[in-house]
Amino acid sequence: MTALAARPEPVVPAADSDPRDPELRLSQLLDAGTLAPITTRDASGVFTARGRIDGVDVITYCTDAARMGGAMGTEGCQRIVDAIDTALEEGCPVIGLWHSGGARLAEGVEALDAVGQVFAAMIRASGKVPQISVVLGPAAGGAAYGPALTDVVIMAPAGRVFVTGPDVVRSVTGERIDMEALGGPEAHGKKSGVVHVVANDEPDAYRRARRLTGLFSRPGVHDPESVREEADLRALLPEQAKRAYDVRPLVRAILDTEEDDEGVVGTSFEELQAKWAPNIVVGLGRLGQRSVGVIANNPLRRGGCLDSLSAEKASRFVRMCDSFGIPLLVLVDVPGYLPGVGQEWDGVVRRGAKLLHAFGEAVVPRVTLVTRKAYGGAYIAMNARSLGANTVFAWPEAEVAVMGAKAAVGILHRKALAAAAEEDREELHERLAVEHERIAGGVNRAMAIGVVDEVIEPSQTRRRVAEALAAAPAARGRHGNIPL
Amino acid sequence: MAEEIRAEIVGNVLQVLATEGQAVDDGDTLVLLESMKMEIPVLTEIAGTLSRLAVAEGDVVQEGDLIAVVE
Repeated sequence: MTALAARPEPVVPAADSDPRDPELRLSQLLDAGTLAPITTRDASGVFTARGRIDGVDVITYCTDAARMGGAMGTEGCQRIVDAIDTALEEGCPVIGLWHSGGARLAEGVEALDAVGQVFAAMIRASGKVPQISVVLGPAAGGAAYGPALTDVVIMAPAGRVFVTGPDVVRSVTGERIDMEALGGPEAHGKKSGVVHVVANDEPDAYRRARRLTGLFSRPGVHDPESVREEADLRALLPEQAKRAYDVRPLVRAILDTEEDDEGVVGTSFEELQAKWAPNIVVGLGRLGQRSVGVIANNPLRRGGCLDSLSAEKASRFVRMCDSFGIPLLVLVDVPGYLPGVGQEWDGVVRRGAKLLHAFGEAVVPRVTLVTRKAYGGAYIAMNARSLGANTVFAWPEAEVAVMGAKAAVGILHRKALAAAAEEDREELHERLAVEHERIAGGVNRAMAIGVVDEVIEPSQTRRRVAEALAAAPAARGRHGNIPL
Repeated sequence: MAEEIRAEIVGNVLQVLATEGQAVDDGDTLVLLESMKMEIPVLTEIAGTLSRLAVAEGDVVQEGDLIAVVE
């Protein structure tokens, strides 16, 4: 089925209809004519329905902004719990549309308990079925943590997420701020990282939710044969090795193109958390027709250094992909970890350890490509062989400094060193190390010790990466997707 | 609307590529920083007029220091 055949019907709301009507909202998300209510629209304030996205069965829930501002009471919360548990039972994605002021004050602690049960259901389903949240209006208090517990948060321009609103903030801290500045798309897309996708408008939020649902639920099968066109990707990097550049055109060029709902052919790449911790780029796309997750250093921002936030951003993405069986492509061009007191005190060690752990435990196929350089601790953290990468490629000019020169020559010149007389050995070792350091970087020594498998031409990258991902055994991590 | 462009990383100002008062486009390079043995362009993310350039070649900027203002 093509995406075109399954697109939603253009919605022309009647003049007197409420644009916040949950059924109207869900009809813009789902394939035309597939919306089938599970529950009716009533005083509970939550509407749930089945439907399809690109032909795939999904379960949806939507808070009803027209009832008490979408506030969550016991009955409404139970509906969300049932929707998530049903999705878990049937193994299908669950998509929530949020426009809610939080727990219903009038219901007191019962409402709090009910909201807590929604969280518990989300955590039960975490890493088992894809959960996508679309924030269309305020999602305050309890409603803020709902989306944050799911895999992907998409925010429309009117979306607002905060634990306590501007009035409470002002009375407690004296800070004067409006709802948008406190918890709008700019705040969460750039400053906090809570929101993965900032949508241009409400219809765009549904489009992005449909695309992401497709990438999760129609993963496809690797077909390296389908990769025919190859561009000279080297042209996407600056000629000077020292010059920084934006890595995203390279990511898009490596991934497949895809037809969108409107029939327009464009990149299949859907970047997540694009403006937060932008020195690392993460997102989903297709390569050789299969969904893949991409993690890439972006030299344009902070030189592409890994730091505290970017390590955390990548860690969660790696774990999410692993929990859904989505293979990973890691594009490495990293000068190292960002030095600084601020970084150390920010927990670059603690958060960097998350990235090591995330890659080290991942069982999905993982392919690393070093395009220009991979140095030091950051080399390891970017899915090095030692952490279990299935295949490590490098482009011809790449530099991989994996260890000190002395240790490297100890391996490369093992025989010569063993053959040298005991009293001369140390002097020879020193001399070889100096010589080794003099020789410009390159990938030869990395290949010699087996941490880089093969040098590939930039023009063969798409095909070779697709083949390597297809050759690795398919697997899926058995763990949840904790919002690290 | 004014947008303050601040250094994302500590570094030396290697080159200043724009002048105060000049019209700039989204994505234009204003300054080239040298840091981590790399040359890192500092871009404007909005189009407008470069109303202030706060650095000169040879300056050392710390993370968060003001580099330019685009209005």
